[in-house]
Amino acid sequence: MLSVTDVSLSFGGFQALRAVSLEAAPASITGIIGPNGSGKSTLLNIVAGVYVPDAGAVTLNGRPLAYGRPELVAAAGIGRTFQVPRLAHRLTVFQNMMAGERDQAGEGVFNLFLRPAAVASREAEIATRAEAMLKRLGLAHKANDYAGSLSGGQQKLLTMGMLLMSDPAVLLLDEPAAGVNPVLIEQQAALLHELKAEGRIVLLIEHNMEMIANVCDRVFVLDAGELIASGTPAEIRANERVVRSYLGMPA
Amino acid sequence: MLDFAIYCLTIVAVWSVLGLSLNIQFGLTGLVNFGQILPFGLGAYAAALAAQAGMPWPAGAALGLAFAVVVSLLVLLPARRLSQDYWALITLGAGELFRLTALNAPALGGADGLTVPRFADPHLALACALALMAAAWFMAHRIARSPFGRMLKVLREDEVLAATLGRNPVTYQRTVSIIGWAMAAAAGVLYAHIVGYVSPSSFTVTETFIVWTALILGGPGSTLGVVIGAAAVQLLSVSSRFVAGWIDLPADVLANGRLALFGLVLVLMFLFRPQGLIPETKEVRDAERH
Repeated sequence: MLSVTDVSLSFGGFQALRAVSLEAAPASITGIIGPNGSGKSTLLNIVAGVYVPDAGAVTLNGRPLAYGRPELVAAAGIGRTFQVPRLAHRLTVFQNMMAGERDQAGEGVFNLFLRPAAVASREAEIATRAEAMLKRLGLAHKANDYAGSLSGGQQKLLTMGMLLMSDPAVLLLDEPAAGVNPVLIEQQAALLHELKAEGRIVLLIEHNMEMIANVCDRVFVLDAGELIASGTPAEIRANERVVRSYLGMPA
Repeated sequence: MLDFAIYCLTIVAVWSVLGLSLNIQFGLTGLVNFGQILPFGLGAYAAALAAQAGMPWPAGAALGLAFAVVVSLLVLLPARRLSQDYWALITLGAGELFRLTALNAPALGGADGLTVPRFADPHLALACALALMAAAWFMAHRIARSPFGRMLKVLREDEVLAATLGRNPVTYQRTVSIIGWAMAAAAGVLYAHIVGYVSPSSFTVTETFIVWTALILGGPGSTLGVVIGAAAVQLLSVSSRFVAGWIDLPADVLANGRLALFGLVLVLMFLFRPQGLIPETKEVRDAERH
């Protein structure tokens, strides 16, 4: 269970988040929606260990997460993607995928020179998994292309694959569907359902309401840094306050 | 003439090691080190000080490596809290700090420098330089093609991405600095024993800039490219003496002309071939084979 309890953060005089609480259970997809500037990405950045909240707590299975230390949060099994995908553009798709796995013997300099056999066998193991992951994402034919040459949608798939290489318990996804063509959005939705079936906690920021309705079990709505509603997608669509502040009147 | 060729080869080998040491920092990891001459100078001065104290050369070598490692960690202390842009300033400043200290400290010989026992046999000097270059090449190549090197390249492309993948960028930057600085210090120790003399004028910002020219010319990230770049730059350097013989130019005009030429090379490379003469190889996976 990923729990965010009464988290607040202000930047100078601007209150970005005010006592926001939410919970996300394993084997579920939790959506976060709200207008631009409502604090969605700020919240994601706090969970991911980029920002340190002024007050409140973030815990995974009861254990507090490290604030301001993204590498520790990632190592605790929380993977996150960015609105604009972050990739090593001048490495191949395959190399990027390989880098996604953690605990690599070959990243220790002493191992490189003193235990080459251990490095090689771990590398072969990771390569097998990277190949399987590329196939799963439908990117196998791009393995030897530079990551920077992929389309925006393919880059978003690749970043999700890189995170999955280290088998995270939690995935924080920042607008995976934005700027992505409909075919890839469908592929993403199918992947999200698989991740849910694997028992992972998925937290999804998205403006694409179709995607939200399609995949989310529960939706939290932020407006001006405050949580204004939560419930199933159907309940959220029927919530008057949400419709007024974000969704707008049906035509 | 043969002696001169041996000397040229020796110098090319030494500067290749310097180029390789900068390449694992900048070419692989993206660390902009504008003071790479500092570990080189530390190695050279350590060799000189050890010799002055009557110690054998291995003591000087060990001292040089230890100095370089300790100083690299000290220089990194402020750098780890700052963005990449500041690395250039901090390393540049550290290099100058060292040079000015050597210039003004009587114990370090001041402007006159210190003498170091020279290799009795130039062939031995060449053999040592080539051996060091081979070792540096092996290390650099192994690192570039390893999972460690892969993560260094991820860092080069995007530090935030590396942190997102659960890696602490500082840990990797520190390891790379230690290796790169120790490599440069080893080259410095050797250099001192080759020329038989160390003085602050050998360790100026200009020397760092010459290593950078070799790197940019050859190809950042490419082990072979950097060695070829170092060879091109050093051979151009030594051969300009002959030019002075043919056309009657004053030595200082020639020296400045040489630097201007290097500057031009840098500008042209950045404009027309930023990947260098021999670009970093793309690591292609052959799916059939596995």
